[in-house]
Amino acid sequence: MAALPAEAGAGSVAASKITIRGLSIDYVSEDGRARHRALEDLSLEVRENEFLSVVGPSGCGKSTLIAAIAGFLRPRSGSLLLDGKPIGGPGADRGVVFQEYALLPWRTVLDNVTLGLRLRGMPRSERDRIGRQFLEMINLVEAADKYPHQLSGGMKQRVAVARTLANQPEVMLMDEPFAAVDAQSRMTLQEELVRIWSQSRLTVLFVTHSVEEAVFLGDRVAVLTPGPGRLKAMIDIDIPRRQRRWAELGNNLLFATLRQRVLDLVRGAGTPP
Amino acid sequence: MRKNSGALGTVPFVALGLAWLLIPMLTKIPPYALPTPGEVIGRLYSGVVDGSLPKDVLASLRRLLLGFCIGNGLAIPLGIAIALNRRVSDLLRPLLTFLASIGGIAWVPLAVVWLGVGSGAVLFVIANQIFFGSIYNTVTGVETIPRVLRRAVLSNGARGTQMLWELIVPGALAQIIVGLRTSMAYGWRALVAAEMIAGTNGIGFRMMEAVKWYQTDTIVLGMIVIGVLWLVLDALLFSRLERATVVRWGLLRETA
Ligand SMILES: Nc1ncnc2c1ncn2[C@@H]1O[C@H](COP(=O)(O)OP(=O)(O)O)[C@@H](O)[C@H]1O
Ligand SMILES: [Mg+2]
Repeated sequence: MAALPAEAGAGSVAASKITIRGLSIDYVSEDGRARHRALEDLSLEVRENEFLSVVGPSGCGKSTLIAAIAGFLRPRSGSLLLDGKPIGGPGADRGVVFQEYALLPWRTVLDNVTLGLRLRGMPRSERDRIGRQFLEMINLVEAADKYPHQLSGGMKQRVAVARTLANQPEVMLMDEPFAAVDAQSRMTLQEELVRIWSQSRLTVLFVTHSVEEAVFLGDRVAVLTPGPGRLKAMIDIDIPRRQRRWAELGNNLLFATLRQRVLDLVRGAGTPP
Repeated sequence: MRKNSGALGTVPFVALGLAWLLIPMLTKIPPYALPTPGEVIGRLYSGVVDGSLPKDVLASLRRLLLGFCIGNGLAIPLGIAIALNRRVSDLLRPLLTFLASIGGIAWVPLAVVWLGVGSGAVLFVIANQIFFGSIYNTVTGVETIPRVLRRAVLSNGARGTQMLWELIVPGALAQIIVGLRTSMAYGWRALVAAEMIAGTNGIGFRMMEAVKWYQTDTIVLGMIVIGVLWLVLDALLFSRLERATVVRWGLLRETA
């Protein structure tokens, strides 16, 4: 585990993996005349090996936050650090799972999963072997030679998650990955993600507009204000990993309480603790 | 997937052939204006036997292929550069718009002055035509690659030329193939026209020569050969290319 960076606050339990301080991001129109502030003065810390959910209403800047950490957007002001070092452009150390799956239509499922390995120049036999392991993990070995358009939405998103994990990023950024999937598959995917995350112990930043999903998945839940997004509250979710199954949480009192608390915060009724 | 569509497509051809047989019997069109199918078949036979027809076809096809390679060899890389780089786009777009308006055939006079009557002038004209038939397709193809795919490839660690082969070329391929196809269709038409005006051999030249002797059978044969060759080229090259790539990837449903 990395040493505690100097920036980490005194109260930090674990090292800070991603540190966001005073982040503001503007979208500027083509002609440079109109500006739209998507994030304003957002400060947030993602700890090493934690699963952080970020929840907020649609349009509050969640995708913008992911894009900024991924290195697709430049902040107008504020700082973005990964392991204490400023984030420049995009890189393989920050894997991204997009709502739109973003699989390459011209590649088979296996070749999609091994994209990052191929880009690193890993020989075919080796990367295929690794790729198949990840397909096994998501129970899609039989789809290895299919093309993405032959898969259902849920299958595509599992492939996208496998692609990100196979590339061994330091953090996984997930932008409403299950929002476009039907409700049944979504619950399965959420449980699978818990299982996979428990095994890999990767740092995950998971963005969603669904309060239920945020609480189900996260070690902590960050609540953002409606746009331009700022941090409104941070809630600890003290539910053990092994209890995170829908069949079990359905009548879990703590889950219901936390979900209600976050929901109140998102809807503006609750007050930050 | 659509095995039988070929059969339906032949119906109009049969109807056309029947009309061709019947029209001379039902109207007073003079025989020299419209040759009978028999005469055209006779001309086809004699052309094949004395070797003049294959020679003309080959001359035209070779020119088309060369013009196709030159035109697209310039258009595709340039189209990619224009789509990817704002500066290149700002620099070249006005010039290209200007030149594109001067259609292929309008270059014939200058091409003849520069290169003389013959293959050089014809090649220049069709390469030009093919270039403009193709380039905007490449530009559009690259520009319409979804942003999220670009981001996904970048986040998997791609840089520099990896982006080109992993994303840009395959992502634009559906549209590039449209460009290849339309540019060859344009080029084919420009080729025949240019051969008529500035050629010394080829199908177009032969048709224009035939006018001197009122050999309408040669002229009609030329027209049929032009159409048939195109059908064959299109089926052999582009439909196959599409099936092997963009249809397989689900980016395009099978078309013609
Ligand atoms: N490319 C863009 N240009 C201009 N405004 C944008 C752009 N992308 C997003 N926005 C605006 O920025 C705000 C935040 O967007 P986004 O980060 O997509 O929100 P979320 O993901 O939480 O729904 C919204 O008001 C949205 O309309
Ligand atoms: Mg979003």
